Amino acid sequence: MDEDSYWTNIFKKKEKTEQDIYTVLSKIPIFRSLTNRELRAVERILHRRNYKPNETVFHENEPGMGMYIIASGKVYISAGVDNKVLAVLSNGDFFGEMALLLETPRTATAAAHEQTQLLGFFQPDLFSLLQTKPKTGNKILLHLAQMIAERLKHSTIENRHLKNKLTELETKKKPVKVR
Amino acid sequence: MEFTFSRFFKFIVALIIIIVTGWLLYQLSSIITVVIIAVLLAYILDPLTSSLESRGISRTLSTIIIFLLIGVVFLGLSGYFIPLLIDEINQIQRSIESGQSSQYFERLETFIQEKIPLISADDLDIHGRITKALAALTDSFFMVLGSVVSLVTTLVVIPFAVFFLLKDGPVMTKTLIGMVPNRYFEMALNILHKTDLQLGAYLRGQSIDAFIVGVLSITALWLLDVKYFIMIGIFAGFANLIPYVGPLVGGGAAVLVVLMNGGSGMDVMMVVGAFLLIQLIDNVIIQPLVVAKSVDMHPLVVIFAVIIGGQFFGILGMLLAVPVTGIVKVSVSELYKGIRRYNMI
Repeated sequence: MDEDSYWTNIFKKKEKTEQDIYTVLSKIPIFRSLTNRELRAVERILHRRNYKPNETVFHENEPGMGMYIIASGKVYISAGVDNKVLAVLSNGDFFGEMALLLETPRTATAAAHEQTQLLGFFQPDLFSLLQTKPKTGNKILLHLAQMIAERLKHSTIENRHLKNKLTELETKKKPVKVR
Repeated sequence: MEFTFSRFFKFIVALIIIIVTGWLLYQLSSIITVVIIAVLLAYILDPLTSSLESRGISRTLSTIIIFLLIGVVFLGLSGYFIPLLIDEINQIQRSIESGQSSQYFERLETFIQEKIPLISADDLDIHGRITKALAALTDSFFMVLGSVVSLVTTLVVIPFAVFFLLKDGPVMTKTLIGMVPNRYFEMALNILHKTDLQLGAYLRGQSIDAFIVGVLSITALWLLDVKYFIMIGIFAGFANLIPYVGPLVGGGAAVLVVLMNGGSGMDVMMVVGAFLLIQLIDNVIIQPLVVAKSVDMHPLVVIFAVIIGGQFFGILGMLLAVPVTGIVKVSVSELYKGIRRYNMI
């Protein structure tokens, strides 16, 4: 499959059928280890949005406010001028979680592939959770930090690997130049 | 785009809707005042509710606790202050009616006439003017409150509205946001969040500032042994909500009372000095600490807002004009910024 490694890394795809919303939530890494009561509190502040087939969730380069969790349906993640599909996500998957911490432009476009229900979790929701239910908010924040750290580790390793490759190529190239 | 009957029809319908909405707003202006006051109060109290909620208390219970606390404080204060306040008001009225104060005004008038011979006694009539102005002031104040069906209804409706705005505020915003179409949903959320952050800081800052200035004024006037110190102090605190003009009016009221009671030039100097000191403390220490700089408004905007507020809603309108203008300013600028960020214009 022609999918960007960055995205496949993040979204380990699993085959899922229609599931109870709490089961979906409890499998999301940032909501891991939340008690049932905390999950209910989180579920209450999530925004339920319904999308028609081919409806855009967000466009690339638009400012992002938070993440979406797929409750049902499928979402295409694409990027670039040619709208190259990077990943197809299905229920239980999530995307856009970087925007929870950093209000940066979206790095890709997300669009519903079929009738899709998404659960939105946004920066203001996270902030208000930190204020009103600090314990729950902190758990989520910690998991978010762990997830980002994990990804940073991957990038660092990949970066080092690429650097090594580059120096290897450069040393191979030099003798050619001398001749 | 060509001109068709249906477009014309739509235009007419839109026009009618705008006119009807405007007419309704005008007719309901008294209710709108109540709504504005309730929203402002709910905004100011929201952090208290959230902080109680963070201690594991449900939002409903938090709201009830806050209401009980406010009730206790209010009753306690009114037990002490209201008799004093009523006494003060009675005294003011008596001194105006008995003509006790008119002696001083006569002195003031002769003093002015000596210095500026061009002005005749009929032109001045300071006493008459001030009596009239005071009457108009109390009239307009009670008119605003009275026009909302009645004072009692207002006093019931405002706490009722504040209670539910506090308790269900987050749910209400979520429901409202839920109605926004998908395309504009995230943008709406973003704009609402930014506006909320700025407005909350601004309104809370303003109310804390007004409270501190009120307390400082009461203390200073009490130390200087000025009559009616509570009333003037409360007035000065509220007046401080209006930039530029407010402090002048607050200090002016105190000076007027000192003069009316036959105070000496030294007394006036002391009161003026105290108000200058309070303004200095306010501008140098309190404001930088509590008032959000993000809602800077141009002096001209402030003055016009106060005049327009006074035109429509009297004294109360003048007080509410500045925060309402702040709300409009922040909302419009955040809306504009949001739309720009999402490349819609």
